[in-house]
Amino acid sequence: MLLNLTPWILLFPFLGFLSIGLIGRALPKALITWIACGTVAISLLLAAADLWSMISVAPAQRLAVWYGWNWVTAGSFKVDFALINDPLTAIMLLVVTGVGFLIHVYSHGYMHDDPGFWRYFSYLNFFIFAMCLLVAADNYLFLLIGWAGVGLASYLLIGFWYTRPSAVAAARKAFVVNVIGDFGMMIAIFLLFEHFGTLAYGGILNRRIVTHTFAANSGVLIAITLLLFLAATAKSAQLPLHVWLPDAMEGPTPVSALIHAATMVTAGVYLVARSQVLYTQAPAALGVVAWIGGITAIFAASIGLVQNDIKRILAYSTISQLGYMFMAEGAYDYTAGMFHLMTHAFFKALLFLAAGSVIHAIGGEQDIRKMGGLWKKLPYTFWTFVVAGLAISAIFPFAGFFSKDEILTALLKAGLQYGTAYYALWAIGLITAGLTGFYIFRLIFVTFLGDYRGTAPGAAHIHDSSIHESPPVMIVPMLILAVLSIVGGWIFTPFSNLLAPQLAPAPVISLPPSLQGLSIGLSLLFAIGGIAVAWLMYGRQQWRAVVNRNPLYLLLFNKYYIDELYHTIIVQPVVKLGKAADTAIEGLTLDGGSRAIGWISARTSSTLRLLQTGYVRNYALAFLVGAVLVVLYYVARP
Amino acid sequence: MPPSAYLIVSAVLFTIGGVGVLIRRNPLVMFMAIELMLNAVNLSFMTFSRYLGSADGWVFVFLVLTVAAAEVVVGLAIIVSIFRTRHEVDVDELNSLQG
Repeated sequence: MLLNLTPWILLFPFLGFLSIGLIGRALPKALITWIACGTVAISLLLAAADLWSMISVAPAQRLAVWYGWNWVTAGSFKVDFALINDPLTAIMLLVVTGVGFLIHVYSHGYMHDDPGFWRYFSYLNFFIFAMCLLVAADNYLFLLIGWAGVGLASYLLIGFWYTRPSAVAAARKAFVVNVIGDFGMMIAIFLLFEHFGTLAYGGILNRRIVTHTFAANSGVLIAITLLLFLAATAKSAQLPLHVWLPDAMEGPTPVSALIHAATMVTAGVYLVARSQVLYTQAPAALGVVAWIGGITAIFAASIGLVQNDIKRILAYSTISQLGYMFMAEGAYDYTAGMFHLMTHAFFKALLFLAAGSVIHAIGGEQDIRKMGGLWKKLPYTFWTFVVAGLAISAIFPFAGFFSKDEILTALLKAGLQYGTAYYALWAIGLITAGLTGFYIFRLIFVTFLGDYRGTAPGAAHIHDSSIHESPPVMIVPMLILAVLSIVGGWIFTPFSNLLAPQLAPAPVISLPPSLQGLSIGLSLLFAIGGIAVAWLMYGRQQWRAVVNRNPLYLLLFNKYYIDELYHTIIVQPVVKLGKAADTAIEGLTLDGGSRAIGWISARTSSTLRLLQTGYVRNYALAFLVGAVLVVLYYVARP
Repeated sequence: MPPSAYLIVSAVLFTIGGVGVLIRRNPLVMFMAIELMLNAVNLSFMTFSRYLGSADGWVFVFLVLTVAAAEVVVGLAIIVSIFRTRHEVDVDELNSLQG
């Protein structure tokens, strides 16, 4: 029997957010953690139950809608608060609550000494609630509500240490860039309502309805799909709206792990997968999706090659891997994209948690040039980092190998079926795999091997310093994620059996084994090659400070100067416009207008006041003049 | 006698009274001028009453006379109280309500 426990899955984190938010300031830290982790744990169990109940049901019947109540009715515009349980939602809920739970537990250790402990867990629970609402919504309106909710949670958590100007600026930047996407989504929703008459998935995402309403590649449908993709681009940090994600590393590291690696940034991938019926009917838009994904993947990987902040390298890595997911979706293989979403959630969250463990151990330092030699002091962190690194580099038999190869295979299949442009994307995917291997192992070697180059409290020599491994509450979630990063890729067949009936738009051809073997072999070659180059450059010898004036290096190091470009082209004109408007509209019109009204009153009264002389005889004269005028009026009236 | 004669007298009296109110500075004299104006109006009312044969005229005169008497009483009381405090008889000096 198919369950739909989604309302409860949403309810518990929401209650956690409210209770901790309202009274958390007075509660002991242990209780806050129990409430926060407890609510997410309950949601996790319920999500697992939902998924389990789905397995025993036939594919065509895997849809259960929980109808809450009518949310708004305005004329013909009717939207209900309803939640669905279907394979896509069930898998997303499991990933969100599962990784979310592990990160909640880890956060207890990481944020333990922070005075804003209760605020942090309140926001984190709110995030889980909003993300679950996003993926479980039955219609585009509640998707948008969840979308905005996770944007809000992201803003609150990036700017968590709000006394830091850089954090506040980063939070603002994230929110402003995301609003661009929200705008796109809203216009798309307007268009959807106009053409489908409803916003519920049941009335839109049906192959028969879509093909009946729109011709293939019709202009309006391309507009809708591209606008939805604009929202996905903003939320999932693809080119050109990727600029907020590296800055978002100002937030606490568990936040980066949860929101900016595993869950929120995957909302864009979910959106495209959910709307696959629309995208399949607009192949031109799907081409845009694939190309932006591909270009972003290689672009971000290239920047990650030369960064020195441990979290920024991982941020660019996230952007790059999200590009892979969009490439898969653009190649009509939404299942592969979702699979990579899941495995990426495992190993990217692990990478961030391990990085957090390192940062926590050496007292807040994030620059890898000031690390080194940590592998003996932080063994668990080191080995989980290596596992995650192998997973992201797509080395057999780790999880990333299976998911990345599914994507590359999908690109080849699309090349055979839909056009040779996809071969170019396949090549981009291969090159990026090599870059991925390089940058992640550069990170590992520089951080953990060699001599310690930092100034952590303790002593000059690392053996005598007080650097020690993180507490179990942080290590155990990392270990769990490490296991998932190893075995997570082995479940592709059941995963595909669950999702493909919902997401696969057309009968997928199978690739001749020789081509598949070529793809797998080349991807392994590139990845191992990348790792080998990293070993040669960073593993074998000590890291040395070198002043590099190579123009290509500078271009990559400065992130292709895109932030500076946006600043000059967009930010400065807007700020100038704002200041001009402030002077003209605020200063002249509003201020001036209201002051002018006051001035008029004052002048009028000071003029009229001259009549009040206080002399009785003046007043008598006024009477007389008035009386005469009245009489004259009546005499002269015809 | 033609009614116009009486009316001209009434108009002249009214004008003299009006000018008197405006020019004289002693409050008692101003009151006298006001009484003059009122009685000039009384005269014209009576004239019309007689020459139109209507009773409305002299009934109104009664009212005006009554009101004039009451007004004089109140007015003189005010003037006396002002004189007691300020010892002024010049109306131009009473300008403290100046705006």
